[in-house]
Amino acid sequence: MTEPDLHLKKFQKELSAGTVSLGLLAVLAQADEPMYGYLIAKQLERVGEGVLSGKQSALYPVLRNLESAGLLGSFVEPSMSGPPRRYYRITEAGRHTLRDWAAAWRATRDSVDSVLKGISP
Amino acid sequence: MNTVRMATTVPEYLDQLRAALAGADPAMIQDAQYDAEEYLRSELAAQPGRSEAEVIASVAGSYGAPEEVAEIYRDTEVTVNRALRPPLAPKRNSVLGQFFGVIVDPRTYGALFYMLLSLATGIVYFTVVTTGVSLSLGLMILIIGIPLLVLFLGLVRVLSLLEGRIVEVLLGERMPRRPLYTQQGKGWLERIKEMFTDGRTWTAMLYFLLMMPLGILYFTIAVTGLATSLSLMAAPIAVWTGLADVQMTQNEFNVLAITGPGTDLTTSLGMWSLPVALVGGFLLFFVTLHVAKGIGKLHGLLAKHLLVRNPVV
Repeated sequence: MTEPDLHLKKFQKELSAGTVSLGLLAVLAQADEPMYGYLIAKQLERVGEGVLSGKQSALYPVLRNLESAGLLGSFVEPSMSGPPRRYYRITEAGRHTLRDWAAAWRATRDSVDSVLKGISP
Repeated sequence: MNTVRMATTVPEYLDQLRAALAGADPAMIQDAQYDAEEYLRSELAAQPGRSEAEVIASVAGSYGAPEEVAEIYRDTEVTVNRALRPPLAPKRNSVLGQFFGVIVDPRTYGALFYMLLSLATGIVYFTVVTTGVSLSLGLMILIIGIPLLVLFLGLVRVLSLLEGRIVEVLLGERMPRRPLYTQQGKGWLERIKEMFTDGRTWTAMLYFLLMMPLGILYFTIAVTGLATSLSLMAAPIAVWTGLADVQMTQNEFNVLAITGPGTDLTTSLGMWSLPVALVGGFLLFFVTLHVAKGIGKLHGLLAKHLLVRNPVV
């Protein structure tokens, strides 16, 4: 792996740390019914560009963390195809957090965009 | 990338993941395998036309190859630990600080509560195991003993997961959050056979039997330590505030007792020994907290060794 590649990888890792949580909360906030890990991963894959399209195994530990932080609720149901699935849905606290995070994200995105304005792609 | 050949079946993929995580916390390996299996099985079900090998090859791109997944879980574990662990009590350097600092450490109270709780859980576990063993062995002459034994072994696994949650919450030792769910492809006969050959089923049973004497011991230590130290502290205060009578020894020695009708408090301690009792009770209280914290730590290790299956075959 070359030097620029390494830098890019490190940058993506740092970017993804918070944005993946934001993405997961957003997907679950828009879902009509509880979703399990695989479905959430596929949903993010469909819309995902950049860090959100990273390795999907990284989503599972984040889901668990969001749950233990009280932002998601979950229950287990048996499935035909494999081990019992854990279904997640967003909690009231989660929706609240999502609103705050979304505002913080938009502010950050706008200011980063304006700083980047003069730079040729 | 390495010499390991590409996995072609789900169990093979899980084996490689397990190998890649070798040396990591067994509880984390169990969680990682559970997540991976959920994803792989769902992917297989979503693409009915393709073979298992094809699907697994494509998954290396989306979910990650076993080595990548292992790296991700190792990374997250560090972050999770940092984020979720209750703030560690500030490190104190002085001997006095170390001795008295135990009172602000949340682990102390978790351990103390666990010691009190273990009397109840110990009795339940012991009853379940002895009933299960004697019932299924006794009925073994009739054919019904065999399904009973299998059911009972399943119950032991559920109980070890439950005890694991209690241990993690109260004692802070990382325990599995998901059952070890392996090898869906195997027939049910083979899976039942695995229950018998898996050493953890038997060590878990040993743990549940041990919980009875240990539970009684822990409960006794906690109650004795707390009752003695608290009453040693309460007696002098009660005397000095006029609530208790001093030097009232009738048949036995009491640090602090309710005697006679009503709520007359008495103590057998003499006036001169009251300050000694106060200081002694105060020190004993902290010693009890230290003992509780130490027992909590040791018991967490014991639970981990006997309850968590070591997935490295």
